[in-house]
Amino acid sequence: MMRRILFNLSVWSAVLIVAFPLFWMVVTSLKPQVELWARPPALLPLEPTLEHYLTLLRDTSFLVYFRNSVLLSTATTLLVIGVAALGAYSLVRFRYRGRESLAMLVLFTYLLPSVILILPLYLMMVKLGLANTLVSLVLAYTTFALPYALWLLRSFMAGIPEDLESAALVDGATRLGAFRDVILPQLLPGIISTALFTFILSWNEYLFALVLVNSDATRPLTTGVMNMLISSFNIEWSMLMAASVMMSLPLIIAFSLLQKYLTRGFGAGAVKG
Amino acid sequence: MAGVEFSRVRKEFGGFTAIEALDLRIEEGEFVSLLGPSGCGKTTTLRMLAGLEFPTAGEIRIGERVVNDVPPGQRDIAMVFQSYALYPHMTVRRNMEYPLRKRGLPAAERQASVLMAAEMLQLTELLDRKPRQLSGGQQQRVALGRALVRDPQVFLFDEPLSNLDAKLRGHMRAELVELHARLGRTMVYVTHDQLEAMTMSDRIAIILAGELQQFAPPQEVYRAPANRFVAGFIGMPSMNLVDGRLAHGSGSWQFMAPGIALPVPALAETAVAGEACLGVRPEHVHIGAGELQGRVQLVEQTGHENIVVLAVAGGIRLTCRTPASMIPRMGDTVDFRIDSERVHVFAPGDTGPRLNLPA
Amino acid sequence: MMAAMSTGGGEPGSQAESRTSRSPQAMLERRYARLGLLLIAPSIVVFSAVIIYPLLAAIYLSLFELYTPTLEGGFVGLSNYRELLARGEFWVSLRNTLVWTAGTLSLQIVFGIGMALMLHQNVWFRSLARSLILFPYFVSTVVAVLVWRWLFNDLYGILNHLLVEARLIDMPIDYLGAMPNAMISIILVGAWKYFPFVVIAVLARLQTIPDVLYEAARIDGAGPIARFFDVTLPQLREVLLVIVLLRAIWDFKEFDLIFLLTGGGPVISTQTLSLLVYKEAFALNQMGMGAAYGVVMMAIMLVFMIFYIRQARKGDSS
Repeated sequence: MMRRILFNLSVWSAVLIVAFPLFWMVVTSLKPQVELWARPPALLPLEPTLEHYLTLLRDTSFLVYFRNSVLLSTATTLLVIGVAALGAYSLVRFRYRGRESLAMLVLFTYLLPSVILILPLYLMMVKLGLANTLVSLVLAYTTFALPYALWLLRSFMAGIPEDLESAALVDGATRLGAFRDVILPQLLPGIISTALFTFILSWNEYLFALVLVNSDATRPLTTGVMNMLISSFNIEWSMLMAASVMMSLPLIIAFSLLQKYLTRGFGAGAVKG
Repeated sequence: MAGVEFSRVRKEFGGFTAIEALDLRIEEGEFVSLLGPSGCGKTTTLRMLAGLEFPTAGEIRIGERVVNDVPPGQRDIAMVFQSYALYPHMTVRRNMEYPLRKRGLPAAERQASVLMAAEMLQLTELLDRKPRQLSGGQQQRVALGRALVRDPQVFLFDEPLSNLDAKLRGHMRAELVELHARLGRTMVYVTHDQLEAMTMSDRIAIILAGELQQFAPPQEVYRAPANRFVAGFIGMPSMNLVDGRLAHGSGSWQFMAPGIALPVPALAETAVAGEACLGVRPEHVHIGAGELQGRVQLVEQTGHENIVVLAVAGGIRLTCRTPASMIPRMGDTVDFRIDSERVHVFAPGDTGPRLNLPA
Repeated sequence: MMAAMSTGGGEPGSQAESRTSRSPQAMLERRYARLGLLLIAPSIVVFSAVIIYPLLAAIYLSLFELYTPTLEGGFVGLSNYRELLARGEFWVSLRNTLVWTAGTLSLQIVFGIGMALMLHQNVWFRSLARSLILFPYFVSTVVAVLVWRWLFNDLYGILNHLLVEARLIDMPIDYLGAMPNAMISIILVGAWKYFPFVVIAVLARLQTIPDVLYEAARIDGAGPIARFFDVTLPQLREVLLVIVLLRAIWDFKEFDLIFLLTGGGPVISTQTLSLLVYKEAFALNQMGMGAAYGVVMMAIMLVFMIFYIRQARKGDSS
């Protein structure tokens, strides 16, 4: 019994150490400015305040960044899932020459460093007149999101028994009919996981946004918030922490509602290959 | 009504030839089993008939129609899968309705057909459940129901009973036979279970490594196996197969192996002296009296009979059946005889053809 | 119904056609293959446009001397490569990349396995603990960096405060502005951010190890340590290989975390190859040189990538 308690305590202290930075982020965002400089720092805000959140929303471009991030991530997710669901169906359930090489190519591109692709992509966007637009970011984000989604959906698709599709074909469905009637409903949990991951990846992306977009009107959260740090004369840590909290809010929501899908996607795609 | 015909059908997967050159003609209304060990090509054959695999060469007909390029849904067939392949997100009703929907039947007609099939299979109570809420046996019935509702020309079964427990399997066998009698439709049934093939079929097609070994009614397959493979494959316990030599002397043929010398009657004209294989069913080895001797090595009592394994000279073992009352002691040496009117003689080789005329 | 079909000959064309044409592939099969290609076509188009083309373009660019803002310059052949190999900065960056990758990767693996083993046990509020552990991985690198820079703050950061309080140090430490502190710091933050990946992957595998293996080992007299080495570790071997390869690739090309924490500094002490590519192309405006750095970096990564792909292929076919 004693051993159990000790074990639990040690596990939980490890967990809490890992989680501490995030705890500290929330705490700092709620502290009035004066408390930040207090020695020793208080573990919890003495007088919790939402003033930093209000400043953030009122006096900065945070909401514009937020809107950009939402638009950007949603568009990327929809585009990528649409293309990848059909592609994964093709890769798993059709037979044609080059199919295996194609699957390996997907895996290969999934591992490519963005920092190389970004140079020609930057030139391409400038040439197409798309520089500094959200569209350029959506296109750029497909470079990592599409291989990722294809690979993940492919393994979900492979988990759907082939007999189901065969049965639908014998029952009179066309290939696409079978896809719609039988495969898609079975794939739905996989699609939700993949969409969530794609959304998170896009939401968190930094490098492409840094290079391709440089006006406040089109910046997403990552570069926008970072810019607040760099451009401000006096670093306001409380406000930056408030921004961090707000920026992580969608993740927290996704986490609490859809944890099941998150871990599933994790197991299916990331490691199993 | 329609029969099925394979002519010179060949199937390759990549470089691997799964089916060599299959010729098979199934009559209208016939119940035919495709029987063979796993990987022999029987399922591939069925899936080609269904339109789920594509022959590399040759023709497949359903009725008069060549169906090579007809999509599965337009072949007027229904198929029951080993995994049942019920659509998990649809209720039993929706599952059974699906083929009718795909044919664009009006709702009222769909309902009527589903209800009729459900009644026939005692599924009426379960119509609004999802497949995962059903037992294995019930799921099996739904799969059958989904095939029934559309009244196809040909039913295809891919080991439909192999996921059921033994008792239910026996029950479903009887039910399928009854169904066949009632509908009179052509049925093609893939199985690796000889009991299923023997009890249900009008004819059995035995396949090995993509080649048809024998295509005949169950009794004939049992009484006159066309080659050594069929002989060993059909029958439980399996036929004793003894390698030895054929000798010709004074107008009659003689089979000889260590400890065994036996006259064999009625050899085909193709027979020549030399290596051969003797096949004897366990029920044709009689313990008690006779000119041969063997040591009792194993006795298995099944209740209504005993299975006895005798060790004969030269490492030869013979399995025989004895009545329940006759229990030889292990280790004893007993006399026995082989009913030479009922033996089979095969040419050497795994699929050596039969050399003697059927008894 | 069948009468109509057979006499009407359902599809009169099909019979004659299949008799005459002895094509190796059935028409239906070809039709399906075409449909398959049609379905993958959008993916191929996107891939070609945003991945394949840029990849080839990057290699092409590396043969030019280009000024980024105006894109003026000319073909210089392989001279970019000759120059970069002669430059000390490349070798320093490569060394930094290797130090960073090896350091953070080994910490991720060790912490990851340790935490996974702990969370595999019956812990109070296990699913809450798992969510807390996962969070650093899913949170944006920007958020992680902001938080850590606040924790690292020399005057008001809680880290320095705690260490001073505990009398482990006399003076506040400069975590990011001096060496070797900066390298150690990014390695630690990298480990913190990415070890949850290892936790989840290992945890998923642990759950599939059959209990009978442990029971058998117990019957054979194996203690907890022997059970770990004789049962758990061999079972984890394959998944660990994949994790190590995957994480090695990802750590090797990491940009955001290092760029945002130290910017490669002090001077170039934590500058990895990714940062070098970026700096060359967008800060020094030498697009061609940047591309050359990128190509070399990818060539090095290719070793790991091929290894990983082969491993994944093996898992795929089994």
